[in-house]
Amino acid sequence: MPWYLYLALKQLFPTGRFPFFTAISVMGVALGVMVLTIVTSVMGGFGYEIRRMIVETEGEVTIKPRVLLEDAPATLAIVRRIPGVAAASPYAKGPVMVMSQGIPAFPIFRGLDLDSVNSVTNLARFVSPAGAIDQLDDDAVILSAQLAQTLGVRLGDTVEIYSPLLIEKLKSDEVFLPRQFRVVGQLYVGHQQLDSSMVYGTLRAAQEIYGLGRRVHGINLRLAPGAGEEAVVARINAALPADQRAYLWMESWADFLWVLNLEKSINFFLLLFIVIIAAFSVMSSLLISVVRKTREIGLLGALGASPRQVALCFCAQAFVIGVTGTGLGLALGFGILAVRNEIVHGLTNLLQRQQTLQQFYQFADLPAHTLPRDLVVTTVAAIVISTLAGLLPAWRAAKLKPVEALRGE
Amino acid sequence: MSDFILTARGLAKTYQSGDRKIGVLRNVELEVSAGESVSIRGESGSGKSTLLNLLAGLDTPDAGTLSWAGTPVAMGEATRRRADFLGMVFQSFYLIPEIDAFQNVLMAARIRRAPGPAEKARARDLLARVGLAERASHLPSQLSGGERQRVAVARALMNSPRLLLADEPTGNLDEQTGDSVIELLLDLCRESGTSLVLVTHNLAHAAKTRRSLFLHEGVLRPVATGPRPVG
Repeated sequence: MPWYLYLALKQLFPTGRFPFFTAISVMGVALGVMVLTIVTSVMGGFGYEIRRMIVETEGEVTIKPRVLLEDAPATLAIVRRIPGVAAASPYAKGPVMVMSQGIPAFPIFRGLDLDSVNSVTNLARFVSPAGAIDQLDDDAVILSAQLAQTLGVRLGDTVEIYSPLLIEKLKSDEVFLPRQFRVVGQLYVGHQQLDSSMVYGTLRAAQEIYGLGRRVHGINLRLAPGAGEEAVVARINAALPADQRAYLWMESWADFLWVLNLEKSINFFLLLFIVIIAAFSVMSSLLISVVRKTREIGLLGALGASPRQVALCFCAQAFVIGVTGTGLGLALGFGILAVRNEIVHGLTNLLQRQQTLQQFYQFADLPAHTLPRDLVVTTVAAIVISTLAGLLPAWRAAKLKPVEALRGE
Repeated sequence: MSDFILTARGLAKTYQSGDRKIGVLRNVELEVSAGESVSIRGESGSGKSTLLNLLAGLDTPDAGTLSWAGTPVAMGEATRRRADFLGMVFQSFYLIPEIDAFQNVLMAARIRRAPGPAEKARARDLLARVGLAERASHLPSQLSGGERQRVAVARALMNSPRLLLADEPTGNLDEQTGDSVIELLLDLCRESGTSLVLVTHNLAHAAKTRRSLFLHEGVLRPVATGPRPVG
């Protein structure tokens, strides 16, 4: 080990006494890294949960026609032959009015193809009672849990569903009566929007409500594990007729994801200032150290140390503080992330605002997902900023002339 | 090639104090042979430490030349040569407080290159030679003043220098401890054939060196004395 690195470590962690200055400097960096880790992970969690929610309920890719998909079997035949496509399921969806006991609600009705839906989505996981999807028929629906609560509906109750076609029919003085559906299950995903505004029924029921005949609104696709999403979508689009197009899940949520990314970047930028302030603390500690150790610096020169090596000794101290602080910060950050839901639930229960948080942020639990890229950016930024903080003290130390330093000037 | 380990010719040094220029050294001439011990005395402020810093290549003279073992010392390369060529002992010891006595001695070798078993063995030997084998793992704060100075002596000799410059090494020690440190310094230099330039106020210590010089008004003058030690 070079002497300047050895001495840097010894000065940071001296034998036989608590390294007070080092601890303060390391804690500053650690707090910055901890906050950055938590915030980027939570922001990443929102993006991840959005993906999970879409992929688990709709699949990774959706094929949408310009208006309606006239010949769904033909399109299904095309896409099922494309490498990377694991399963496909047609759907129809649109807004409806649901009435129960005089209470109206305006959710989205989604018609599922019962033969193929389970191969594309994991809806069955979120439905209670278990196996409710298998009980769906053309006269049965599954309601979002909060929607059922709003309507005061329980399993086995009946709800009336009014189609938008009602308005069209009224124009020609026809009466289009609402359809009655039996509630056979509830859906709870953990996402406010899905849990409060969805009705799931059969594809045939949806086609009837919207007067589609055999036409559908689109096809959901599940991709094979490890298949490159964008490459598969490109292959599908090359094979589809011009009036149909495949969209990757993120395209449907592009604006939301862009805002989420922007928010994450702004948060990262602002919170990085904690690390920058910590770096000033590191610089201040090291500048004090240069003053305290002026005679030792002179001695090192007298022993044959070059100014460059003396500078490296102080840069190495800043680097070690950066590395130690970053390591500690990551550990603290992941530790807090592990108990984030306990903290959030404790806080919201204390403030009686559990519902508000869920309505505002959509999720019942605080999501967290750490992207390796975010981890690398946080780690590199913290270590580089800390090391840069050592440059001024290093320059001051290197500038000292041994003969003046030995006199303590 | 010169036979002298140290040759200083016409060294001069002037300091600026406000508008005034103070000439500390004027035309200093000094030659030190291999294995020779030389003492330099002088009044406080006469420029003894300034001269020693010039001889160590730590400071630049305004005029004159300096050679180590016949090779002129250029300021730019003095740092690189210093670790191999000379050792220094100071009045204030200047031990590094965060590391123990053994590591303080070894630091002189570390600055040259990463120390191997041979350097570690030499550091232990030197500590044993200065009577501190049992205190090798003690921090400077756990040592007395005399013990710290002995560690500093061992550190100065770690790289087997050809020249040792000692700047009032007993200035912070009581008389008895100071005497023992000087005896140790002279013995070790004699054993290893290291030349010694000792700056001191102490007449008795100066008398133990082979040659005594007195710095007065910026010029070194020999001191007439009785019989001198051989080294």
